[in-house]
Amino acid sequence: MSEEKQVKVHVDKVNKSYGDNHVLRDISLDVMDNEVVVMIGPSGSGKSTFLRMLNQLEKPNSGVIEVDGYDISDPKTNINKVRENIGMVFQNFNLFNNYSVIDNITLAPVQLGKLTKEEAEKKAKELLETVGLPDKANAPVSSLSGGQKQRIAIARALAMDPDIMLFDEPTSALDPEVVGDVLDVMKHLAKMGMTMIIVTHEMGFAKQVADRVVFFESGKIQESGTPEQIFTAPKNERLQTFLSKVMQA
Amino acid sequence: MKKKLLTAFVALSAIVTLFGFNGRNKTVSADEAHYTITSDATYAPFDFQDKNNQYIGIDQDLLKAIAKAAGFTVTVKPMAFNAAMQSVASSQADGVIAGTTITNERKAVYDFSDPYYKTGIAWATAKDSKIKSLSDLKGKTVALKTGTAGAEYAESIKDQYGFKITYFSDSDTVYRDVINGNSVATFADLPVLQYTIKNGTALKVQNAKEPFAAGDLGFSVKKGENQALLADFNKGLAIIKKNGTYDKIVNKYLSAKASTFTGSAKDNSSMWGILKSNHTAFWSGLKQTLYLTVVGIVLASLWGLFLGILGVSKNGLLRGLSTTIIYIFRGMPMLVLAFFLYIGIPAVTGTKISAWTAGILTLVLNEGAYTGAFVRGGFNSVDDGQMEAARSLGLSHGQAMRRVIIPQGLKLMVPSFINQFIITLKDTSLLSAIGILELTQTGTLIVTRNSQGFRVWAIVAMIYLVVITLLTLLSNWVEKRTNA
Repeated sequence: MSEEKQVKVHVDKVNKSYGDNHVLRDISLDVMDNEVVVMIGPSGSGKSTFLRMLNQLEKPNSGVIEVDGYDISDPKTNINKVRENIGMVFQNFNLFNNYSVIDNITLAPVQLGKLTKEEAEKKAKELLETVGLPDKANAPVSSLSGGQKQRIAIARALAMDPDIMLFDEPTSALDPEVVGDVLDVMKHLAKMGMTMIIVTHEMGFAKQVADRVVFFESGKIQESGTPEQIFTAPKNERLQTFLSKVMQA
Repeated sequence: MKKKLLTAFVALSAIVTLFGFNGRNKTVSADEAHYTITSDATYAPFDFQDKNNQYIGIDQDLLKAIAKAAGFTVTVKPMAFNAAMQSVASSQADGVIAGTTITNERKAVYDFSDPYYKTGIAWATAKDSKIKSLSDLKGKTVALKTGTAGAEYAESIKDQYGFKITYFSDSDTVYRDVINGNSVATFADLPVLQYTIKNGTALKVQNAKEPFAAGDLGFSVKKGENQALLADFNKGLAIIKKNGTYDKIVNKYLSAKASTFTGSAKDNSSMWGILKSNHTAFWSGLKQTLYLTVVGIVLASLWGLFLGILGVSKNGLLRGLSTTIIYIFRGMPMLVLAFFLYIGIPAVTGTKISAWTAGILTLVLNEGAYTGAFVRGGFNSVDDGQMEAARSLGLSHGQAMRRVIIPQGLKLMVPSFINQFIITLKDTSLLSAIGILELTQTGTLIVTRNSQGFRVWAIVAMIYLVVITLLTLLSNWVEKRTNA
């Protein structure tokens, strides 16, 4: 990473607990502009919670989170404004069931006054082209397969022209044969220079696309580094155990 | 949206209030005093409906003659006896003429006119009953009409003779209960019993010659109020007693053949005959029921939506408010709510509220609470992920609710709404208790006159079923459309 690159996400000593359950402990992490960070780790290690904090779907108990220069741990920050620049893709797609595909994509830019209805529809059609589903504009959400839904969900997030994209296990709910379609769209985004933070169990994808891989375990970042460092020369003992398990499968 | 809903609700409430008070603001001529008088709807021969569904009876004819003689005009509102008395006690009406016996207890609340009819308490059994004396009543049940002098008398001797008591709010049900053998006897005013027996009710008076607690019937106003009306009534009564009108009226009812008022045997011996001879009454009862239902459904749905939206608000105080309102009005029996609104509140505040307005308010508060509960539940059952996705795009909580959660929640609620509409239609029948002349009250009135309980209630039940079937078909059609 070159020096002139700008910090997009700055996280300092964040803690989160639910009752007695301390799910995140003193997490600190910086993500640079155009960087693709992949977070791996066993279930319950806190990586999804961490990701959801970056657009305040969860609130930290302590610590500082700055995104795009806004301190979102400050209650005075207008979180809606910050979220406009952070796209989020969920494991279960969460497409709006009461709208057609194109209305899912145009809803936010039109509602938030970023684009007119016509501009938004034009843009939606371009995005549908990008995610490989140009003929689905007027389809109802219920008629789509999981893989199609997830690609529409990515298009919906991109319609707001975000600076950062968050992916929360985007392929975990998909049939194996369509996982590739979604990963291809994500690779394309990475190539276009999108800043991306991805929680995933797809190790092959992580190796191929990540600038940096972060290993979560027991609410802590145990190790982070380039894919090569993480996958070929893991230092942390827990990471070694984790990798031996997932690579076997 | 919240604001729009609220505005719509306020506007509709205003319309209802206007409608509700309409009936009361009849034009009053400048020189004659005008009064609203309540009356029992089912107390032949004093108060009942004739075969043309006009309210007639000794009370009704006397009141008309007295008003004419003394120079005032009246609007008569027939309802259940208790409601009629309490409407006056709570200043909802100016006076009551309902075959009311003058008692010391009642004198504490009402001022009575000069007595207008001598009466006494008689007791009657089924025609073929083996019971001969009061001591035969030991351990048996006696059916009584709520709030009557007959009931008061029976209460006073119940321990002495060891019988049990069951109460009904209209006379015909009391008689049916005795004839059907659920109870063995009833106590009521002698002329009332004699009239109904002449009309074909299979009862037998046991003490026609020696009525108990002989007393007088009187017209009454709320204690200390409407003294001019009371004076006018006494003045008019004196005039018609003197000029023979009084005797003419009493004789007209006590010596006439029952069929004069109740319709021919032919009309009453088949369901078709009853339906034909009462079709205008059934039709106007049905119209009132439909009117209550439609206005009730619209307003209760709006109120329920408002409560439901409040119930999923971000603000804990608003959520608590919604929960509390739903808790109170869902937990209160509808009949209690109706009495509370119509009789309870005006008794304290002195403001009049028409039965119709009270009825609609009852429907809105009660059905609205149920609606609010399932609306809240419907919104809550929309997957959390929908809200998260909307918020993560930058939409505010309000925008997410309006564009994503509410539309999906409403769709989930369609079956609950249909169910609630049908319940609302059926619940309008409870409003007969505060004297609204809807379908059920119409049935009560017709039964009072012709004593054909089985046939009349079968007709009423079928009308409800037909309407509910139509409503269900309509709702199913709407449901299909919304799912398309």
